[in-house]
Amino acid sequence: MTTLETTAGQVGVTPPPKSSRWNLSQREALTGLLYISPFLIGFVLFSALPMLASLVLSLTNFDPREPDEITFIGLDNYSRLLSDPLVGHALMVTIRFALISVPLTLGIALGVSILVNSPKLRGRNVFRTLFYMPMQIPLVATTLVWIGVLHATTGWLNIGLGAVGVDGPNWLQSVTWVGPALALMGIWAIGNYMLIFIAGLQGVPNELYDAAKVDGAGVLATFRHVTLPQLSPVIFYNLIIALIASFQYFTQAFVVSNGRGDPSNATLFYNLYLYRQGFPFFNMGYASALAWVLVAIVLALTVVLFRTSGRWVFEGGQR
Amino acid sequence: MSHIGRPRRRAAAVLVVFGLLVTACSGSAATSTPADSAAPAASEAPASAAPTTSGEAAEIEWYVGLGTGENEEQIPAEEAVVAAFNEANPNIHLTLTVVDNTEAADTLATRIAAGDSPDIIGPIGIRGLQSFGDQLLDIGPFIESSGVDLSGIDQALIDVYNVNGKQIGIPMAVYSSFFYYNKSLFDEAELAYPPHEVGAQYEGKEWNWATVRDLAMKLTVDDNGNDATSADFDPSKIVQYGLDAQFTEHDARAWGTIFGGSGSAVADDGKTAQWPDNWRTGLQYMYDGITKDHFIPNETAVQALADGNTFQSGRIAMDVVHQWYTCCVYPGEGDPAVTDWDIAVLPVGPDGKVTSKLHADTIGIMDSTENPEAAFTALTYLAASPELIQTWGAMPAVAGQRDAFFTGLQERFAPLDIDWNVSSLMLQYPDNPSHEAFMPNFQEADSANKDLGSKIWNETDLDLPAAIDAHVQTLQGIFDTGG
Repeated sequence: MTTLETTAGQVGVTPPPKSSRWNLSQREALTGLLYISPFLIGFVLFSALPMLASLVLSLTNFDPREPDEITFIGLDNYSRLLSDPLVGHALMVTIRFALISVPLTLGIALGVSILVNSPKLRGRNVFRTLFYMPMQIPLVATTLVWIGVLHATTGWLNIGLGAVGVDGPNWLQSVTWVGPALALMGIWAIGNYMLIFIAGLQGVPNELYDAAKVDGAGVLATFRHVTLPQLSPVIFYNLIIALIASFQYFTQAFVVSNGRGDPSNATLFYNLYLYRQGFPFFNMGYASALAWVLVAIVLALTVVLFRTSGRWVFEGGQR
Repeated sequence: MSHIGRPRRRAAAVLVVFGLLVTACSGSAATSTPADSAAPAASEAPASAAPTTSGEAAEIEWYVGLGTGENEEQIPAEEAVVAAFNEANPNIHLTLTVVDNTEAADTLATRIAAGDSPDIIGPIGIRGLQSFGDQLLDIGPFIESSGVDLSGIDQALIDVYNVNGKQIGIPMAVYSSFFYYNKSLFDEAELAYPPHEVGAQYEGKEWNWATVRDLAMKLTVDDNGNDATSADFDPSKIVQYGLDAQFTEHDARAWGTIFGGSGSAVADDGKTAQWPDNWRTGLQYMYDGITKDHFIPNETAVQALADGNTFQSGRIAMDVVHQWYTCCVYPGEGDPAVTDWDIAVLPVGPDGKVTSKLHADTIGIMDSTENPEAAFTALTYLAASPELIQTWGAMPAVAGQRDAFFTGLQERFAPLDIDWNVSSLMLQYPDNPSHEAFMPNFQEADSANKDLGSKIWNETDLDLPAAIDAHVQTLQGIFDTGG
């Protein structure tokens, strides 16, 4: 508490502030709101309103070339979605990709984070930086580089495979191989997941490792019974982020296929199809309906993951 | 289904446009599109045309990017023409907006939605018109009242831009298609060059696609020097192909037209999907050429040949491409490279006719313009500017300007002596209907045609007749959705 020295040399207590219309908690709330107002304003302008607009759009036949012809069509866009064979196809392309890329990306990110977190590794920070560095390169530039690397005849990968007597596939023009090729490209960008895993690993109490050592646990047993359970909240977080990213997968597929989903729609991811409906085809209403269905799918998957998380995610030492 | 009242429609449109704009302004790493990272427009003009008032110059905006004209080296010539126009027309202020081709259509659509349309758009091809043709002004009355002389342009070309009785543009540039052939490869194989005259025979045989097949197989060679007619030929080690039709963006309509002749994916009723028999024959010819006879490269091989500019690689003997390909063939440059080439006429198709797939460019006026007279004045000035035609590398639609055009090409490609007469000759055999003609729900239907093309190019075990039947069903669904 602050004290004041009076003119008479006496020490006294600070007088209470003048009465205000707002009490302390209200003033604190106002201050807090002021601090976060840049975000709130930005969120309302750049996220909430566009989302609201797209919800309205999804109930219309809006074509940006003919704005005056906008017509309310109820749920027609949603029923069209059920009979559109490319929606199911795009969804399957996305799910297949997620099934390959999510475990692959998270597994490798976890492995790399354990390696670069090891106290036995010299120059850990250098390795961490190197593994994170690709995240700083724009996605389009990265993808263009990978297109060169995966080129059927001049790409480094196939030249390398050829050097050991293996005929590499035509990665980006093959219906079979283009999915794995994209997953392979995804490994390049494990930096964010790796950082989060490292933070999680550093949060595991050393006492647990000491106890495991005393109990005679080996490396694998320690990893399985100490590291993994302690890391499970972080794995859970990364899993949700990776899953959402898989369903939002767009840029690499766009660049690789010239925005078309080639070859033979093998890279027609859900988001790419949504984009094609909204922009090249000008079916903005239908694209909005596709977007809201995507929101529903991702939300449902997230809810399922949260519901099942109690069985394998340890929080505060408990499941 | 109910129609929204006009004020509400306006409100809804404003809400929608607002949403689009703020969405466009916001960024998300996870969902960003290449457009986010694309270079900004090379030249931006003021967004909207000011209304004409007495004493003030009418503001007219010319929007470039939907076709050619957006390359850096083309912009100075366009700016010079705009400056010359403004100097000659003090009552009109013409401004130039150049947008990257990959985002020009989306940008224009968004601007239309926002009530911020430019006044003039183009150059734009026949395919591009299918997207924005409905938004173009009928300039027929202006042509009549102003007495603009179109007598130098073939009526058939003028009619290309007459859509549902509306004259939506004046042809500025035309591009016939024909064979570019690599003379060195013919010389090496000791084979006669393909004919330069329609009706001429090739080594005593009719110049048709069967003759082309035989010739192309002799010109397809593996790395042991065996040609595709040899029993020892190894199709997995091909180093030189007899035939290609490059830069067609795997459009099945384009391929059907090249190898099968003119046709339409839409029946006469304007709403029923179809795939003409001559197109089926043409696509089967092409598919067999890729997968069975191996004289046409598949997509993988195309990517390996000068990154898709196959003729430039020097490893394609004959290539069906348009006049505009003079943009991209550089004799002797690169390694490998084509060094000595000429052009030849296309053969008789399965429909018994010679068909030269035609591309054409025009400029048009948006029907939302507030100053149609001023816009038409600007349009006629632009259409009559040979500098623009030259910088776009286009063959003038006005017949009288072509000699100068071909003289320029002859100088550019000297010492090669190219028979440009072939190009003019092929103009007499345009595809009609155009391979880029109207289809209901055009953008989606066009994309579906490219999906079929992608299958033909990439899949080795395709049952093509069944795939085409399925494609017709897909097209019908798309046509029906488009209403």
